[in-house]
Amino acid sequence: MIIPKEEIMKSNHLACPGCGAALAMRLALKALGKKTIVVIPACCWTIINGTWGNNFAGVPVFHTAFATTAAVAAGIRATLEMQGKDDITVMGWAGDGGTFDIGLQALSGAAERNDDIIYVCYDNEAYMNTGIQRSSATPIGAETTTTPSPIVKDRPKKDLMEIVAAHDVPYIASATVAYPTDLIKKFQKAKSKKGFKLIHILSPCPPGHKFPENKTVEISKLAVETGVFLLYEIEDGKYRINKKPKFKDLDEYLDIQGRFRNTPKEQREALKEAIKKRWEYLLVKAEHFG
Amino acid sequence: MKRLVLGGNDAVAYAVKQSHVDVVSAYPITPQTSIIEKIASFIASGDMKARFIKVESEHSAMAAAMGASAAGGRVFTATSSQGLLYMHEVLHWAAGASLPIVMANANRAVAPPWSIWAEQTDSLSQRDTGWIQFYASNSQEAYDILFLSFRLAERVKNPVMVCMDGFLVTHTKEPVVIFGDEIEEFISVKETTPLLEVDRPKAIGALAFPQDYMPVKIEQHKRISSALAEFKTLSDQFEKISSRRYDPVYVYGEENADIVIVAMGSNAETAHLAVDLLNRDGIKSKLVKIVMFRPFPKDELIKAFEGAEKIAVFDRNISMGKGGITKDEIVGALGINNVVGIVCGLGGADVTENDMVKVAKDILEGKIQEDMILWGGR
Repeated sequence: MIIPKEEIMKSNHLACPGCGAALAMRLALKALGKKTIVVIPACCWTIINGTWGNNFAGVPVFHTAFATTAAVAAGIRATLEMQGKDDITVMGWAGDGGTFDIGLQALSGAAERNDDIIYVCYDNEAYMNTGIQRSSATPIGAETTTTPSPIVKDRPKKDLMEIVAAHDVPYIASATVAYPTDLIKKFQKAKSKKGFKLIHILSPCPPGHKFPENKTVEISKLAVETGVFLLYEIEDGKYRINKKPKFKDLDEYLDIQGRFRNTPKEQREALKEAIKKRWEYLLVKAEHFG
Repeated sequence: MKRLVLGGNDAVAYAVKQSHVDVVSAYPITPQTSIIEKIASFIASGDMKARFIKVESEHSAMAAAMGASAAGGRVFTATSSQGLLYMHEVLHWAAGASLPIVMANANRAVAPPWSIWAEQTDSLSQRDTGWIQFYASNSQEAYDILFLSFRLAERVKNPVMVCMDGFLVTHTKEPVVIFGDEIEEFISVKETTPLLEVDRPKAIGALAFPQDYMPVKIEQHKRISSALAEFKTLSDQFEKISSRRYDPVYVYGEENADIVIVAMGSNAETAHLAVDLLNRDGIKSKLVKIVMFRPFPKDELIKAFEGAEKIAVFDRNISMGKGGITKDEIVGALGINNVVGIVCGLGGADVTENDMVKVAKDILEGKIQEDMILWGGR
């Protein structure tokens, strides 16, 4: 596969160096094309897209209230349907706070109605735009400003993919910027399908996860190889694992990120357990519903 | 034209059906629900061609309405009380983004304790969200104001809320004149403009530093303020079709009145009777009904109060620790000191014409000099 050459997103955006979410949008828009309308709630992308008068995404953007992404996208789609414009993709683009937490109700509503939108969660595993507070997507053991050591997060992150899968929607996929062709293929597939689509992207965050900004792709890859982040799809209820983890040593993934520097040993073990359990569940599902 | 016997909710649903609405997004709540049920039945029967998004909350109802409006659709929603309060954040957003959404609100008291009955504290506490607000006193007004609202919202690029007292207006069945094709030339004019166009990619609502934020807000204030003049223009057109006239302030009764009764919503219907009774008793009196509460019709009120000796404002609402909200607005805007505020009818408590007559007489006789809460007990 050749990655489309055309750059829709502009290069002078306001993301931090090494931002996974900026790279993810760049690739997503390459896959979707210019006929895309994006809805962005409160999140890092509120800033990345530029201040008043700017629009670095290069496609129409509606900045909206934190909890409203999926509902606003559904509304846009409804009018486009009435106008007979069926060649435009409507994409919600929210962080983990706006998805796992405050926006989950609207997301569930749109998924249950099967509104014809692509909902993307770029997941940097905490409230990064407000300065690194824990969200329900923060993994066990991670330090944030609201879970400072020694009270690091002690609960596993919500399983967003499976929550949305319970709504019986046509397409759900996970992706990372370390596998750009896989990511682009998934956006193209989402675009081609009618109804509600979810794409969950792991989005490493240099200032939030505390790693050098040239390690974003490497960390994305390690997340997949260690089994921290599972690359799979659920298409019309059928599970497909896109990349079987090598189950590399988890410490390799943790030690490269400052947010796990103070993670106690038992938390590391708990994280390993959680990874193992999720993989076993997924294997069973892929075997029975593949 | 034909006459049907309708409650305010049904009248609103009929107006929505005739208004070429593209998208409805709504969530049920008493006493609004029969509006959206009626709309659903119009869509089911094929009499209305709109997309109805059955959202999972009022917060999403307004959010979906925003998306639909930003894409250039004509959009309607309806709510009440707790639902309206749940929308609060998104109400600001819709107005700030200049989206011409029209919403009906069934005025209902706010819990606790739970109440489903009439009170205007719900919508008046949304005073500062940047929405144009109308208060209908009966089914015909609700019907007519809906048409005017779609046109006004799109003309000035600002959302409009049409309020009706729960049950008293929403459910009281009255004869309503329903348009046939004669409304078509008025309501088929759509001045919606899509903000989201793939050929001209813009970002709506991006982060603004103070030097950008202030001008945007000044513009928004000008936009909603222009609704007073634009309403008059549209009202002139509407009057030619319907022979019914709507102004921001409605006046009934004697010039140079000894006592002016100010009311909004269903209280104004009662005040009509009170004014008749007072005039019969030889007390020159007048009703001043606030039809449009935002933008605030200051000049119209100054004119309506000309020659008034005393002014009694009946508020079916309360700002805790202060008193009646419209009384406060009037005094604040006009700087007059011959006004007495009467908070009444909270949570659907009855307010009768005899209550109003007694209060008016007591004010004129000097027995009531301060703001008061009208409550005779159970």
